[in-house]
Amino acid sequence: MAKLSLMFEERIVKEVPVGGRPVKIGRSPDNDLVVDNLAVSNDHARVYFDSGRLVVEDRGSLNGTFVNDLRVERATLHDGDSIWIGKHHIKVDATGDAPLPYESARKTTAGAINETMVLDTKARREMLQQAAAMGERTQFAAGRIKVPTIIVLAGKTDAKEYVLTNRLTTIGKSAMATIKLRGWFKPQMAAQINQRDDGYYIGSGDRVPVVNGVTIPGPTKLDDGDLVEVCGVRLNFIVRE
Amino acid sequence: MQISSGGATHVGMVRTNNEDCFRIVQPLNLFVLADGMGGEAHGEVASALAVETVVKHCMKGQEDPGAPLSGQTQPGLAPKSQRLLSAVHLANQMVFESAEEHPEQQGMGATMTAAWIDGQQLTIAHVGDSRLYLLRTGQLQQLTSDHSLVAEQVRRGILTVSEAEQSNLQSVLLRALGTQPEVEVDIEQVALFPGDVLLLCSDGLTRMVTEPEIAGTLQAEPDPQRAAEKLVERANEGGGIDNVSVIVVSIRPQPKGWFSWLRKGAHKSAGGNGSAGGS
Repeated sequence: MAKLSLMFEERIVKEVPVGGRPVKIGRSPDNDLVVDNLAVSNDHARVYFDSGRLVVEDRGSLNGTFVNDLRVERATLHDGDSIWIGKHHIKVDATGDAPLPYESARKTTAGAINETMVLDTKARREMLQQAAAMGERTQFAAGRIKVPTIIVLAGKTDAKEYVLTNRLTTIGKSAMATIKLRGWFKPQMAAQINQRDDGYYIGSGDRVPVVNGVTIPGPTKLDDGDLVEVCGVRLNFIVRE
Repeated sequence: MQISSGGATHVGMVRTNNEDCFRIVQPLNLFVLADGMGGEAHGEVASALAVETVVKHCMKGQEDPGAPLSGQTQPGLAPKSQRLLSAVHLANQMVFESAEEHPEQQGMGATMTAAWIDGQQLTIAHVGDSRLYLLRTGQLQQLTSDHSLVAEQVRRGILTVSEAEQSNLQSVLLRALGTQPEVEVDIEQVALFPGDVLLLCSDGLTRMVTEPEIAGTLQAEPDPQRAAEKLVERANEGGGIDNVSVIVVSIRPQPKGWFSWLRKGAHKSAGGNGSAGGS
């Protein structure tokens, strides 16, 4: 999927993908790429797909739109082109330039895609790859599988090690608990670990767990190596690769 | 354990048709919710067909546990979990085939979040971005993964949770019922405890109402039907940009002793709540 990167002095200020809907560029805040500079008109230019070609169109701006130093009213864009608007330039990435089939995107008014849609497998792969290329915080390189594991350091449990495979892991005496505690006075459900999109969070049950020596105030994200104590049982949360 | 439930749905403040659909099948403790998509009125067709298929297949399995299963089975699942998984695979097939047969329905699909409680065990079958939450000891925990682009980006560490909430690509799904001949269904088995509250909801709720607000509403209103109605109201007060549907299920300890025996008798003569449905 094509994308535009708004640059200022060789730094990327913002990136937007170009899909089925035109990307609006200008000074007023309702644009997709807002360039806050008096040399830029409120509604300065638009970039969109026209019959499979990526096109930039000047919206009658005062100071003009330039593609690679040439002032244009409308021009086809190619991969690596630069659109100049005032002191800013916008780098064009036209690789994989087929727009996603956003039929319903055209109906939207506020810039957001309000209609729900499903990406087919190919479009999905491309979009994720683009997104991965965009993100500098890509911690999870492809091919590495992370296995969150609880290791029992001390205390009576039904196993010494548990791989967390469910959205919810319960710790307690209950026969239904994932990590079963043994002993007369143990609670049915002492604590629980909830898998969220950004990691594993431990929360209280009938007891409040202690993580790295601190009693947790509420659901707390577990990091690799954290020590958990609950009901006299000491657990070590680790993430194996 | 005693299970009581309630549900509510509303078209919202912006849209003109309600593409959500839900069913509560009280005798089975089965709860099914779907959010349809696709132009014209076809989102409604998809969600209703998906919900109907899941309910019928589970009821059939209840009468005849040997009834044939659809799609791939998953080893290690309890029979009812296996049945629910099969029901969602079948729903996918039904919606997909209907769209194939009727060109005007092309592109229709639905999310699906289904919960079936058997004794202490809850089974969740899930595709899409509707959600199931468990409120336990005051903590609201999401037990389903959104099959949306932004959620996938959070799982891969590309976006933070707050960036995902700000994204204008929140409506882009990676999985839904009826868009492909086969679908991967998430299945989860969870142990329930007295005091637990379950919430099934379409994204019309979670886009409009924050999780702390949802938790607060569920805690303040013990009656499941009234809690469901309040959540729908809150979504509409927040803007109601989408259809909103909510099912609330409350799990209480079975009362013990002669008092419960009396109450049971009273319940029997009063009859159940019946099932609720909506679209």
